[in-house]
Order: sequence, then structure tokens, then C-alpha cells
Amino acid sequence: MSITVGDVLESEKKSRGLRPVTSGRMDALSDEQCMIRLDGPEVEAAIAQLYDRYGRTVFGVGLKILGDHSLAEELIQEVFLKVWRSSSTFDPSLGSFSTWLFRVTRSVALDLYRKRARRVHPIPEGDSHIATMRDRSAGPQEIVDESWLSWRVSRALETLDAPHREVIELAYFGGLSQREISQRTGVPLGTVKTRTAKAFRSLREELSLGDAWQVATR
Amino acid sequence: MKYPESHPDLAAFVLGGLEAEEARRHLASCSRCRDELEGLEKVNRALEAAPPPVDPPAYLKDEILSRMRVEKRSRSNYVDSKKPSKTHRSYRSKYLGVVLPSVAAAAMVAIVALGIFFGLAREQAPVATIRLIPTPEEAAGLDGYWGVAKIRPQASDNQQVELRLNNFDEPEPDSYYELWFVSGDRRISAGSFTSVGKGETRVWLNAPPEVRSFDTLLITEEQLDSATASGTAVALEGEMPGR
Repeated sequence: MSITVGDVLESEKKSRGLRPVTSGRMDALSDEQCMIRLDGPEVEAAIAQLYDRYGRTVFGVGLKILGDHSLAEELIQEVFLKVWRSSSTFDPSLGSFSTWLFRVTRSVALDLYRKRARRVHPIPEGDSHIATMRDRSAGPQEIVDESWLSWRVSRALETLDAPHREVIELAYFGGLSQREISQRTGVPLGTVKTRTAKAFRSLREELSLGDAWQVATR
Repeated sequence: MKYPESHPDLAAFVLGGLEAEEARRHLASCSRCRDELEGLEKVNRALEAAPPPVDPPAYLKDEILSRMRVEKRSRSNYVDSKKPSKTHRSYRSKYLGVVLPSVAAAAMVAIVALGIFFGLAREQAPVATIRLIPTPEEAAGLDGYWGVAKIRPQASDNQQVELRLNNFDEPEPDSYYELWFVSGDRRISAGSFTSVGKGETRVWLNAPPEVRSFDTLLITEEQLDSATASGTAVALEGEMPGR
């Protein structure tokens, strides 16, 4: 069965609606508080919360680095198991949890890339949206190094609320014009334009806070 | 920053949705819009590097939690096996030289046995995880479906297949499902099963060692009154990794 970008976005919309809600008590926890709880009785709730918060970014960046669904699935499992096993090595005074998690993801991705290098196979037809995003001329280290920008952009997109994220995703991953977004979503064209402009400004502010800006603009 | 009415919609310009000539004329005479455009173009370049907006398959979170539980149990077994009993403690000084090596040896045997047990039991990490994709006809009626097959080698060299199918329709009355490994004209059945429909169906099947070199997994719907499974009514299919 062939999977189109539209299908991906449609399933994405559905899955957001079904995204599990964690308990109220755990909802209030910061990333750092979750990390502390990885060494206690609330370990599963804490790792589940970190997964809900970062799973999409880890998986998306994994797909981009590895270009393969099965490997990205292996990556996300290994990353969160490593987060649990290595929680004591996380020092919030040295940087944010997001940055630390990116390093873990990068390290696991590089290991997987090298380990499976001989088993690389053609990307199935249905995964053409992934194939187009993978620069096959780049080496593993180069791909992994560039993933910091992907990580930051993914995190920045997560900060947008659903209507603003939707217009950006439909434009960049669905390849739709603003008029087509309006027709697809039933939202007036003027509103689509306003949301796009606002989303762009929010992303600019979010990305300007970190290293991604320098990487993006070099 | 709020755009005055007379300034063009620069986000639309960046996305290619605004008349370029009209915007360029304005930009030539408006330094504020030029600065604004520079910032938006940086965002545009960054977005082009963004990863695809795809949620990981729903079963992965459970899989991670399950692997954590297994690992915690293994650790706890290891710690328990290292703890000396009260009896041992009371005789520690007297029998230290004799008992301790024996206990350590016994613990090692237990750890190795546990390792073999866990290594060969179904909780061993799979050597391959295959996404099972519905055929277009099957997909039309599925809502909230996802499915994977995990392959684990057994001590006998047989291949255990763990099937996890979410919201996969029950077979028609007088029908059942069959899992096949396929390579060219060759096909080997790994067994039959049925599904629960709504919710997750989880079954374990087995296949001979040869299937490790096969290319494809198929799940077909078969008629109960048929003498042999035909393998033609394909509902789900998946590609073995590395093929």
C-alpha cells in the first residue's frame, strides 16, 4: 500500500487527538523532575511522560538520520532505555534535558548507522517522503552532525499550538499552497495567512534562542 | 511585530504565494520589510531541514516499558542472588573461604541460567521488527490500525514470530488468518490465528529456520471449509529488513 504525505498528515492529526494524557500529578513535572524520578517508584510514569514529550522528535530525527522506519523504531527504544539506564549521568547544571537527550539520540543513531551499514536496503515506495529528506551523498557523521538543526526545528514546532503547527506542516510536508490549505482545512484563506505569519514569527523567536540559528543561517 | 496594512504578507512571499514582483517593488523601498524577510527566510531554510511529522507507532511506548520491567527483574534477580542469607552471615567468619566461592559459583550458575532463560524466552530482543501494512482493500475498513511482527530465534533455531495487531478486524465467519513467509514462489506457513477486532491482538507463532532468508510476510484470510490454505486473500504484508 502506498502511503502519501497527505495520509501521514491525516494519521498525524488523528493520533494527536488520541494522544494519551498522563496523570495530573505527573503533568506538572519538568523534564528535570522526571529525570530524578527515573530512580524511584514512579519510574514508568516519568519515562512515559518524557516519551510523550520527546518521542516524536526522537523518532522524526531518527527517520531523518537513518532513513528507515525499522531502524528509527529501534532507535527510539534504545534512546529511552538509555535515558533510563544513564539517568544518573544527566547534570542539569551542564545543559538542558533536551540537549542531553539529543546527544543520546545522536550517539545511538550513529551506532545503529554503523552497525547496520551493510544491511542498508532500498527505502520502500511508500516511504518516499522519508527518502526525499535523506541526503545520500553525506556520510554518517555529517548526517548526524546536521541533525542538531532538525532536532531544534522539531522542538520549535512542538511549541506551536495545533492550528499554527498544522499550517506549517501542510505547507512544508504536505506541499500545499496557502489556498490549498484553506480548502483542505475549511479555514478561511485570510486566517491561514495570519496563522502562517504568526507561526513563522514564533519559530523565528524559538530558533533564535539556540545554536540552530547559526547552523541554519551558515 | 504587527504588519501595517500597506506592507506585504512576507510569510506568503517566502512560501511563494505572493506576487513576487509586487513584493519586490515594496522591498526595494522598505528596509523594515527587508529585515523582516531576512528573518523569515532563515526560518524557511530551517523548516526545510525539519524531520517528518510522524508519530512513532503506538506500540513502542509499551515495548520500552516492557523492556524496562524485564531488565529491572533481571537486575533484581542478580542482586538477590548476590545477597548472603542470614545463615551465611552467621557462619561467615568460619566458612568464608569455603562458602563464599560456592555461593559465588552458584550465583554465577543462576545468572547464566537466567540469562539463557531470558535470552531464549520470548522477552529476548527481536532480531527483526516488521511493520505489517494493510492492502488497500483491507485498509479501507481499518481505523486506528497498526501491526508489527517481531522475529526471535529460538534455541532450536526455529523462529518465533510475535504478532501484535491493533484494531485489526476479526476474520469473516468461518474464516481464520494465516501467517506466511514468502520468497519468490516459495511460501512457508507460520500458523493460524484469529483476531479480537477492537483492541490489541497478540499471538506467538513459530516458523522453521529457513524463513530467516525469506523476503516477505503475508497475512491471509482463509476459509475454514477449505482443505488447504490458499494464501491468496492477502490482508496484511510486510518486508523483512535487509531484503
